[in-house]
Amino acid sequence: MSLAFSGIGVSRGIAVGRVHRLTAGQPSVAEYHLEPGDIEQELERLDSAVDRGDRFLTELMARSEGEGGDTARELLEAHRLILRDPMLLDGAREAVSEQRINAEWALARQREQLIDEFRKIDDEYIALRQEDLDQVVKLILRELAEQPGSLLTAKTPHRLNEVIIVAGELGPAEMAVLHQRRVGGLVTEHGGPMSHAAILARSLEIPMVVGVHRAVSLLREDETLILDGHYGSLICSHSEPLQRHYEDKREVIQRRRADLGRYISRPSRTADGQGFQLYGNAELPQEFERCREVRVAGIGLMRTEYLFLDGTIPDEETQFRAYRAALKQMDGRPVTVRTLDAGGDKLPPAMALSEGPNPALGLRGLRLSLAMPDSFRDQINAILRASVQGPIEILLPMITSLNEVRQARALIEDCRLTLRRQGLAIDPDIPIGGMIETPAAALSLDALAAELDFLSIGTNDLVQYTLAVDRQDELVSYLHDPAHPAVLRLLAEIVEQGQRHQRPVTVCGELAGDERAARLLLGLGVRRFSLPPSALPAVKKSLIEADSRRCRELVETWRSQSSDADSQRLLADLMRD
Amino acid sequence: MIQKTLTLRNQRGLHARAASKLVQCASAFQSQVWLTRQGRRVNAQSIMGVLLLAAPSGSELLMEVDGPDEEQAIAALVELVDNRFGEDQ
Repeated sequence: MSLAFSGIGVSRGIAVGRVHRLTAGQPSVAEYHLEPGDIEQELERLDSAVDRGDRFLTELMARSEGEGGDTARELLEAHRLILRDPMLLDGAREAVSEQRINAEWALARQREQLIDEFRKIDDEYIALRQEDLDQVVKLILRELAEQPGSLLTAKTPHRLNEVIIVAGELGPAEMAVLHQRRVGGLVTEHGGPMSHAAILARSLEIPMVVGVHRAVSLLREDETLILDGHYGSLICSHSEPLQRHYEDKREVIQRRRADLGRYISRPSRTADGQGFQLYGNAELPQEFERCREVRVAGIGLMRTEYLFLDGTIPDEETQFRAYRAALKQMDGRPVTVRTLDAGGDKLPPAMALSEGPNPALGLRGLRLSLAMPDSFRDQINAILRASVQGPIEILLPMITSLNEVRQARALIEDCRLTLRRQGLAIDPDIPIGGMIETPAAALSLDALAAELDFLSIGTNDLVQYTLAVDRQDELVSYLHDPAHPAVLRLLAEIVEQGQRHQRPVTVCGELAGDERAARLLLGLGVRRFSLPPSALPAVKKSLIEADSRRCRELVETWRSQSSDADSQRLLADLMRD
Repeated sequence: MIQKTLTLRNQRGLHARAASKLVQCASAFQSQVWLTRQGRRVNAQSIMGVLLLAAPSGSELLMEVDGPDEEQAIAALVELVDNRFGEDQ
């Protein structure tokens, strides 16, 4: 007899594989291999952990001063020497770059080697140092854990394609590693369809089910599990025929994906000859790669939170390198960089201070950037400097007032002038646009359009703020209805205002990545879509086969009806040919 | 590059405290500093390297210093060793 669990399917697809549970708890040494492109970042992670460890020891030393703590000071000084010891660090750095292993693993190996060497020495004074070495290694490991390495432990198998990961929740760091190791499927206890992990899972085409209560304790390690990311169902203790049924289904999905792939090279034109443009949403290097594969017109939304998620605020240089790499990868196609959209569900640990009583309505998005002008400047300088590499646009998130936009523009202009004084000529006409994702912004476009060169509609937040539904809360996420009449009115308003003020309007929320919603947007007059690369082929097919005039009529008729009209019926009608 | 052979005259040789002082002194210079004892050559800017020499009092060490400030570096290091690392004995 089979046993079934249900959750919310957030990333379509079927996975059949063995369960591997990830549990938080005692800090464990995560061991994983790095992609060649990630080595640089891992070395920086190690260096910054060592720097923080050094600062920690220096502060301790300062505190022990005046307390007669000479012995303590001497010990701490010795620890600082070990912390900076080339035998420890150079060895670990070499292992990271040559054997492509993560910093924790490299450090643990180097510790073993050094301890072996010390064991060979027969001297009690020297034997004592092993304890010091252990303490220093622990200090670095603790600092590395501050920048969430990963929950993946030494016990995690290295080949994950037949493995389904079950966890409380998954952060972007885990997601990056899991993707790299080609995980079969993902199950989490918490989170909703719009959580960061879910967005990444869709973009990376990993089947995922979230909101499965107590999944970690209910599912057994190594048992075979069937995961259906469309229906949000999990089946275990099943019969062989059932497993075969799902394996066949998985193959059908794979074949359908391959079929959709044929649309990638077709011209972007609807059945009635309307041109449209498809841009990609990307954040991780793997996503830029996928965007190229599906031939996007450019990047309509480069999120930058990922850069900030390791718990520290990245310096200008680190950001500059990331933006430059994105422009290089896109090879002449424009990249729209959204400035830090932290806050609410996306708050990086380094900014945890800004978490107010209600993060969704608190210091977040552009508000947070304006409240931290130094780090905002770092980000703007990095973007401006990268602009030499290719066409770049700046997108300001979470706008509610004209004043915020003016402040941001003034700061950007100031950064540009400062760079010019330093001898770096930056194009004065780099487009600066705004995310229209609050009702306030949507209803103030008459004023805002004068200060914004382009408009991007963030449907996820616009829906959340319009409907007062927390998209992360699995108890109410069923109310998250992007086709709610109130949302459609706001969308229509934004599109009309964009046309009136001649500002390009791009829809870049998850809505643009849904083949039915894309037709709805087409009917509203949207011609520019920015979507996860995984969704592009299906949306492109849907738009190529759509008659834009018929979509317009259906949407107009629907809008003129009473406000409780069934939006699901509209979406179904739009898909009828 | 400058080479010099030194003899440890302090009571306990390159034990923890003396090794720390040596590494701190060597790290203050840009030059690379190497110590060799009984065929083992280590970076004198590495505390663990210096400890692994396990050099007791009376040992002979070959010191090599190479870099832009090698003369100042060797002078300071020789002084440290000759002063028995500032230990009372």
